[in-house]
Amino acid sequence: MEYKARELFVKYGLPSGVGVVGDSVEEILASRENITYPAVVKAQVAVGGRGKAGGIKFAENEEELVAACNAIFGMDIKGHTVKKIMVKPKDEIGRELYLSITLDRGARRPVILFCPEGGMEIEAHPEKVIKYPVDPTRGIPDYTARYLAGKAGLSGDQFKELYALLVKLYRLFREYDCMLCEINPLAIDAEGHLLCLDGKVSIDDSALKRLPDMQEYEKSAPREPMVAEAESFNFLLIPCNKEGNIGIMSNGSGMLMSCMDALAKRGMTTRTTLDLGGGATAERIKEAVRILLSDPKIEYLFINIFGGITRCDEVAGGIRLAKELYDIKQPMVIRFEGTNKDKGLEIINGLGNVTYVDGLLAGVEVLANEYSRQ
Amino acid sequence: MSILVNKDTKLIVQGITGREGTFHTEQMLAYGTSVVAGVTPGKGGQTVLGVPVYNTVKEAIEATGANASVVFVPAMFTKASALEAIDAGLKLVMTIAEHVPVQDMMMVSEAAKAAGCTVIGPNSFGVISPGESKAGFMAHRIFKEGHVGLMSRSATNCYETVFLLSNEGIGQSTCVGIGGDMIPGSAFVDIIPLFEADPETEVIVMIGEIGGSDEEKVAEYIKDHVKKPVVALIAGKNAPKGRSMGHAGAIVAADGTGSADHKEKALRAAGVHIADTTTDVVRIVKELLSK
Repeated sequence: MEYKARELFVKYGLPSGVGVVGDSVEEILASRENITYPAVVKAQVAVGGRGKAGGIKFAENEEELVAACNAIFGMDIKGHTVKKIMVKPKDEIGRELYLSITLDRGARRPVILFCPEGGMEIEAHPEKVIKYPVDPTRGIPDYTARYLAGKAGLSGDQFKELYALLVKLYRLFREYDCMLCEINPLAIDAEGHLLCLDGKVSIDDSALKRLPDMQEYEKSAPREPMVAEAESFNFLLIPCNKEGNIGIMSNGSGMLMSCMDALAKRGMTTRTTLDLGGGATAERIKEAVRILLSDPKIEYLFINIFGGITRCDEVAGGIRLAKELYDIKQPMVIRFEGTNKDKGLEIINGLGNVTYVDGLLAGVEVLANEYSRQ
Repeated sequence: MSILVNKDTKLIVQGITGREGTFHTEQMLAYGTSVVAGVTPGKGGQTVLGVPVYNTVKEAIEATGANASVVFVPAMFTKASALEAIDAGLKLVMTIAEHVPVQDMMMVSEAAKAAGCTVIGPNSFGVISPGESKAGFMAHRIFKEGHVGLMSRSATNCYETVFLLSNEGIGQSTCVGIGGDMIPGSAFVDIIPLFEADPETEVIVMIGEIGGSDEEKVAEYIKDHVKKPVVALIAGKNAPKGRSMGHAGAIVAADGTGSADHKEKALRAAGVHIADTTTDVVRIVKELLSK
């Protein structure tokens, strides 16, 4: 969210301010001595397009501020409910630019994206965006900033500000394992100074372990209860299609995607996938079945587990356990391959509403038949 | 013959004293891989399963003449271990761990490029040349010696394909786990020239997935440089947009970049045979081999 990005910008000395952030009107008014008017009142959500959705308002006085807060709190912006608002002084802006540092997958290097026109959705104008790659062994040289400043027609002093800003932004990008550090708009204020008016920072999930201050923030991010519960078992649960009614469980994302594709080819839609990760023990399989079937909209379960060293007797044991413990009405189609397969087959033998199949496509076939029976 | 690893590979296991490292060293030895040394800082002088352990990669190379390394250390230490192997002069380093920070691999990639080292992975099962050697954690029972060169971003889809191929009596020259991350040490385009040059490889199978543009890049390369038949499967056609599908690299942007359609189109234009499912891969490979 914006206020978090601003906190990081401030930490790295970028020209930005956090303003007053609160979860309620009362909390915001409690800091009234830090609010100056005219003020801008901004919804804090982890999604773009707030302005268009009415999530940004202006206030000339406290009365207007309260009205703006009341209008914005609880607002739905692209499926995100507003629970946090930031209030900051309204800046006098001359001109707006766009600046970000992101990762160029193809080049395996960071790249600076710069646009002499900012504030809008730059995706809509790719031809106006200047891409300048960064050699990560050398960082950002001054000529990079000089080139960009030239393209935007900035003055000598503004070039110096841009260079300082780029160096700081790049430090943030590297030290916080960012996938994206974006300043949009990067404004030029009435005095001609550069100012970060809004920002977005997204961080590599794999790096959170070494970023203790970001862990807290990530943990507090709202997520669906089913996803959170799966996470507590180290499963990766991905809601795929709200129209779907099939849940798929597997031990790798490649296999999950293959299952989804094969089902879709036969006109079936996957609602949710669950990746078990490593360690397919009976206990874990049981929990995974329980979590997936806690969603009443999942009418079929397809379990496809293929690991050379996965023990099929454990997988089968988990399914049997789930069947014994819970009242499972949904048909389950199961496929496993690995060691102790025969033992596994014995364990699930005779379980009602459980069909064993000897391959991915065979499973899809069985599900297609179940489907057409309805 | 084969690519990357073979019977002459003298392998170092970095992180050999860890649980995973020890377990898979045992598996690799059982397969016949010549694991000549292990490296764990502070544990030099010990032996694990008869394999001598050294404090540094450099010492391990000096003592054993090792020429490749597989890195079985946790994600957060993968960068340091891979850089150590590259600095010590190894030309082949396989990284296994899942959830290695992307910027770590960015720096490893820079170092590898400068040193002329091939890095495989991370988030990869490693590399296996059936009947010769394996460096990684793949379940070797399903592999079989033969003439299909396979490279895959997904381990499970690779296993499935190999399983079906082997059941049909079709063996593999080498299988390379590209890995599911955003920045793989080696992408398809880095590996395909090796398969093209390998006399044992007759058909090349590539198992790609949504996200990034590595499939499009290899399609460009194939047009002018690859004469052998190539079969490709792209997983994730029906994955939701804007969401990473577990593999950090498997994500289709909201504007459609990285989509399966785009990749298949590029590959078709390069004369690549597109398979729908793993079963379909086997059908096409069979046809190609019988020609």
